[in-house]
Amino acid sequence: MFNQKGQIRIIEAFLAIGVIFSALLISATFPSSPSLAKQKSLVDIGTQALINLDTNGTLGNLITQENWTAIKQSLDILLPIGVSFNLTVFDENLSPINSQVIQNTNLLGHEIVSVHYVCAGQNRNVQFFILRLQLSWAR
Amino acid sequence: MRQKRNSGQILLIAAFIMASLLLSTQLYILEVGRITSETESDSLNNFVSAIKQGSRHVVIGSLANISNGGQSSTLGSNLQRWSSVLSKQYQFGKSVLNYTLRETAPYSSGIWMYWGSNGYGVSSAYAIFTYKLSDREVDINQSYVMNITTAVLIESSYQAASGDVKQVNITFNLLIEGEPALAEQITIYYKVLDGWQIANATNNYTILDYGNGTYFASFLANIPSPNVEVSAHVADQREIYVQANATSTQI
Repeated sequence: MFNQKGQIRIIEAFLAIGVIFSALLISATFPSSPSLAKQKSLVDIGTQALINLDTNGTLGNLITQENWTAIKQSLDILLPIGVSFNLTVFDENLSPINSQVIQNTNLLGHEIVSVHYVCAGQNRNVQFFILRLQLSWAR
Repeated sequence: MRQKRNSGQILLIAAFIMASLLLSTQLYILEVGRITSETESDSLNNFVSAIKQGSRHVVIGSLANISNGGQSSTLGSNLQRWSSVLSKQYQFGKSVLNYTLRETAPYSSGIWMYWGSNGYGVSSAYAIFTYKLSDREVDINQSYVMNITTAVLIESSYQAASGDVKQVNITFNLLIEGEPALAEQITIYYKVLDGWQIANATNNYTILDYGNGTYFASFLANIPSPNVEVSAHVADQREIYVQANATSTQI
């Protein structure tokens, strides 16, 4: 009678190789840390864009003038290519005041991050606004 | 003889795989925690920067209002509103902004406006802020000062043209926070008897902008008095208004 010990070991070895390969394949599909790093950079990019736009009071002035088109154009320039955004402007009482949508792409179905920014106008009648900037990497 | 059992090897492999999975999961959790911590730190810094920037805008807007005829209490009331808006923001924790308006002379209620007759005029606001952001994992205390100052310096001279007509020259400098700055609006006045007149095209009024905060204005005016008094009314690009008067020297 043949000794079947060798066959079992070969089967075990194949099984082990299969398990290791499948583990590698599964780990590759994990939501990995680089994705989180990208989201982190997206928050920073969005906040910095708003801070830059607000440096000389420009952001507050554009909101006061209800120049939503200029705000969209400014964000188009300040944000890198490949970033989708949607901005909502609220007054002090948290009522939305932008009469038109300020976005470059519809963010439905995207994985988004949200940046909140408090803006004080620099004009004589000091007004306060709260901005919610939703961002996503374009697919 | 009884055959040797191989189940021990399978158990070892299974244990090894489980250990690997546990280890990799632990590493992943550590990595995620590290990135989340960095993200929060950067976001906090940006949040505090935005609050400082907003405080600056409130002080500038208030000074623009007051220097254009608004009440001196505007600065305090606007800062109170700003503090109230911030106290409703709970993005990173409880946010408290306190402020103190400078009362040391020459300031009063954080405002100093001196529009003198010696060729110097200043409009200034001064406030000291303390900002506190607290949460279970966050405790930020920051103090900062906002000193917003627009000043104008003028020098004037004149020479007699014919009769009472005089050629008046004015050189003036605009300074924002001590640095040369461009003006948004300039109006030059000269005094005839007890009234101030605006120098305009009928006076051959010309103004030269050197582009570095220095301006040179020139005009002809019928001024019977040997004392030629002039006044420069200037608004900077932040709408802060300042004026200075001077008596021209004859050349």
